[in-house]
Amino acid sequence: MPPMLQFLLSRLVKAVLVLGVVVILNFLLIHAAPGDPATVMAGEAGAADQAFVDQLRTQFGLDQPLYVQLGTYVGHIVQGDLGFSFRQQRPVADLLLERLPATVVLTLSAFVLALVGGVALGLLAALNVGKWADSAITVVALLSYATPIYWVGLMLVLVFSVNLGWLPAFGYETIGAGYSGVEKLADIGSHMFLPVVTLGLFYMAVYTRMMRASALEVASMDFVKTARAKGQTEWNIVTRHVLRNAILPILTVAGIQAGQLIGGSILVESVFAWPGLGRLTFDAVLQRDYQVLLGVFFVTSVLVIAFNILTDLLYVLIDPRVEITT
Amino acid sequence: MTRDFLLAFARNKGAVIGLAIVAVIILMAVFADVLYPQDPWDMVGLPFAPPMTDGMLMGSDMLGRDIAAGIVHGARVSLLIGLTSTLAAVFIGVLIGAIAGYYGGWLGDLLMRFTELFQTIPNFVLVVVIVAIFTPSLTSIVTAIALVSWAPLARLVRGEVLSLRSREFVQAAVTCGQSNGTIIVKQILPNCLSPIIVSASLMVATAILLESSLSFLGLGDPNAMSWGFMVGSARTVLRQAWWMSFFPGVAILVTVLGLNLIGEGLNDAFNPRLRRKRTA
Amino acid sequence: MKHPIRFLRSLAVATALACTGTSLMAPPQAVAAEETPVHGGTLTAIIQPEPPMLILGLNQQAPTQTVAGKIYESLLTYNFDLSPRPSLAKSWEVSDDGLTYTFHLQEGVTWHDGEPFTSKDVLFSFTKFLPDTHPRARALMSRAESITAPDDRTVVITLKEPFPAFLQGFEMSTTPIMPAHIYEGTDYQNNPNNNTPIGTGPFMFDEWVKGSYIHLVKNPNYWQEGKPYLDDIYFKVIPDAASRALALENGEVMQSQYNDIEPFDVQRLAALPHLQVIRKGYEFVAPLMWLEINHRVEPLGDKRFRQAILYALDREFIRDRIWFGLGRVATGPINSVTKYYDPNVPRYDYDPDKAIALLDEMGLEPDGDGVRATVKFLPLAYGETWQRLAEYVKQALGKVGVKVVLESTDAAGWGKRVANWDYEITTDFLYQYADPSIGVSRTYLSSNIRQGVLFTNTMGYKNPEVDRLFEEAAKEVDPEKRQDDYSQLQRLIVEDVPVAWLLEMEFPNILNTRVHDAITTAIGVNETYADTWISPE
Repeated sequence: MPPMLQFLLSRLVKAVLVLGVVVILNFLLIHAAPGDPATVMAGEAGAADQAFVDQLRTQFGLDQPLYVQLGTYVGHIVQGDLGFSFRQQRPVADLLLERLPATVVLTLSAFVLALVGGVALGLLAALNVGKWADSAITVVALLSYATPIYWVGLMLVLVFSVNLGWLPAFGYETIGAGYSGVEKLADIGSHMFLPVVTLGLFYMAVYTRMMRASALEVASMDFVKTARAKGQTEWNIVTRHVLRNAILPILTVAGIQAGQLIGGSILVESVFAWPGLGRLTFDAVLQRDYQVLLGVFFVTSVLVIAFNILTDLLYVLIDPRVEITT
Repeated sequence: MTRDFLLAFARNKGAVIGLAIVAVIILMAVFADVLYPQDPWDMVGLPFAPPMTDGMLMGSDMLGRDIAAGIVHGARVSLLIGLTSTLAAVFIGVLIGAIAGYYGGWLGDLLMRFTELFQTIPNFVLVVVIVAIFTPSLTSIVTAIALVSWAPLARLVRGEVLSLRSREFVQAAVTCGQSNGTIIVKQILPNCLSPIIVSASLMVATAILLESSLSFLGLGDPNAMSWGFMVGSARTVLRQAWWMSFFPGVAILVTVLGLNLIGEGLNDAFNPRLRRKRTA
Repeated sequence: MKHPIRFLRSLAVATALACTGTSLMAPPQAVAAEETPVHGGTLTAIIQPEPPMLILGLNQQAPTQTVAGKIYESLLTYNFDLSPRPSLAKSWEVSDDGLTYTFHLQEGVTWHDGEPFTSKDVLFSFTKFLPDTHPRARALMSRAESITAPDDRTVVITLKEPFPAFLQGFEMSTTPIMPAHIYEGTDYQNNPNNNTPIGTGPFMFDEWVKGSYIHLVKNPNYWQEGKPYLDDIYFKVIPDAASRALALENGEVMQSQYNDIEPFDVQRLAALPHLQVIRKGYEFVAPLMWLEINHRVEPLGDKRFRQAILYALDREFIRDRIWFGLGRVATGPINSVTKYYDPNVPRYDYDPDKAIALLDEMGLEPDGDGVRATVKFLPLAYGETWQRLAEYVKQALGKVGVKVVLESTDAAGWGKRVANWDYEITTDFLYQYADPSIGVSRTYLSSNIRQGVLFTNTMGYKNPEVDRLFEEAAKEVDPEKRQDDYSQLQRLIVEDVPVAWLLEMEFPNILNTRVHDAITTAIGVNETYADTWISPE
């Protein structure tokens, strides 16, 4: 599919441009910060010694002019080197790679949950427009849409972990339990349940509302009426015509909202002690770990762009017009 | 027009409920000092008092501060931040959107690239970083929220302006020799006011959510009692004292819900034929 | 769950007991000592935050000390009363003039890689490695005229002038002994062996899964026959405070230390039958917490204003309600567990009327809103408890007419601003390291007013008599004369209130009752754990 290849290429070129600007912007922004990492590190080492502070400053290039530091940083990024976190004494790329899977798993699961749940509920509401199912779904969606994500997390913990004791409240897995295979998966799954629901719920509400509106709009269109006149079964009409067409605007919005989804994971990860990028970001902000912050920004931007391309691909796959040409 | 609009709005049950909720919240904010004259930070009772004990409707927090007083006074912070940051965002969004839509060309392209950039960066991450860097205060929080909120509005306004500028009345104004600025302000913007108002009402809701999330993470203004701060500070004692995080959370939920309902009501009232089709 | 109010009450009783001088925690220790240690078992402990590395000579952050303290050893360790006791040095002598320190090393000690440990390693650590990497060790060793090793088992240090606190500088965080055969002649920071620490301690490094756990295993060739008792130790990284409490509660971990558990959770956990709280083991660091006051800002430069601040604060409320009973109300610049503490100083019991009287005397009249003065308060960004303290201080000072505006910053911003004197009031806590001439004088000496350097005399406090006494006491070899100097000093400083001392901080070690002999010295959880054992379930 050359047109699609072309499309992907143009997206990639755009992505690189956006990323370049993001890197420069972030770099300048973060360097506007008050607070000198060397002073704090010296303090934490229990030392109050100018020689030590100077030594740290030289060691991490903090004594160089800003543009030199920026040049070095961009140069390194091009080589895939995201710098060195002096606070954690580890390469930033390592730190990020360590945390990346947890965030990707969390956001992707939440996204899938939100998409599938939202589409199903929205469709259900549209098919039963005006009936009690429609009203119920609409009200629940409205409520979920208005609830702070972190508070949902806390309340779920309160009910399902503290009161009922059904699900673990925190963490990624039971540490040192020594599970393997299916048991390990089940363990991670039980830890994932609440964070995924928490993060997914808000977006599920967004998609439900959109899907309902979109399905109603499509259902009134001519080709659906034609299909019905042809005597196709209702199931066929819903799945083949209404669903496919109604889902397209949702994918567009999902792509745009990718950044918000990843941002939301900061909150969810700090509620559930989920060891992902979001938590890393927050810790890095509090510790003023410049290199890690720069890295997190870069990687989340990459994630957002990847997410956009993913939703575009889904769009192409689902768009019925593509089917017609093949 | 106005009468039809009001009727349409009033016929929408959700919108009326939303309006009632927001009215109550505004009253709470205005009369906070009458309802709870003492400073909400004052440690007035025993710490960890459950609701309806020690003379406190919603109980006290870990230092013995009255939760109900915090909720009433917190309404001020939420509304203040919601409104000011939305005003700022609307200003930026309309300015950039109108210029991009009216002039088009390379300038419009450039502005849209810039807008896209702000939509690409993970919003909340950006807010956290800005507030952390410039230290939490009402100003830094409002600035940060405004900075991440204007982009969608700019796109919306650009679209509207783009479609309006080829219309006859705009062309007529051009022929009359009106300046571009006058045309934008006098001819075009009044005609895309309704989508801007709808967006703005929803933006207030989003801004309140954002502020509460920041405060939850400990990045709120330390001198202002806010709902997000109350939930955040009570989070670690969730197991011992559910009420400390429950009530402020409900306050946020109800306020945001009310604003969303109003936004939708406005939307439906402005676009009677589009009812059900468009959502936020 | 226990009712929180009742909690507080039992807590009040507990603290009342603690104030009378009877340590609550003595009985379990005594009981433990009577039982016979058994071999075997795995200790699981919380480690938070995750240490950046385990090379103790390169990094001395608290979590590094706790883990690496099992791997590396030092010449001495210290009893709860801070008197030295043997570790890698089996005995030592100090000459009468207080200038020459001779250490005799243990026999048959090997590094984890099998190389023998000798005085060469000590010499290398004291003269090369530590002076290069560790500021506190550098300061200590710069007092030495010469450091020599007459034979493989002896180290002799001669000082330039007497410094009796010198003997307090040989625990594992100040002067850990590093292996010369690995580091000699290399770039210490980038040595390829930095990922696999090699020490002489009872436990050897096995595995580190970043973000998850650090695993140490028993050293089969440990120089103390029959020790350690434990087979291995897991240090688990649990970033979230609530999950740490949960892990202790359900037995997933058996030990927590420092601030791992939020103060409000300590009481709840202490009530559980399988957990015990031990407050000992921090005598060496002896943290003291205070409100740091910038004397350069009016009216904070006036001694009466600072005294008023102390009178206006109910420090028992701070201890009981904010720190949930953890800590002791501080009486002055020296922690009561540090050497040369003297309780006989002027007192500042909670008395808002006295505070108001002092402010009146200064001529600070309340304006229409009842405000006499406005100060900015920059709280330490170390988490919630500190934020609660700031909120309390704001309310308490507000009651005597001092309006407090809270500022907000992160740890880095805080460090920069305080180091550069760009603050009015802030919270701070400093470790005392056993002797006032190491950990106390640095805060009050006018010669230590150094802009840009944190944990110095950042208030800008100047009192020539205080300077003179500190300098005299640091060199005084006669313990009685030394005590006299420090007693005088404490009375002088307490009268001046250069900082408003709040609490002598107590960190709770929460241990599973199956764990025995873990907290046996003044360095507590940072001890080697050669003696620690676990009774079978």
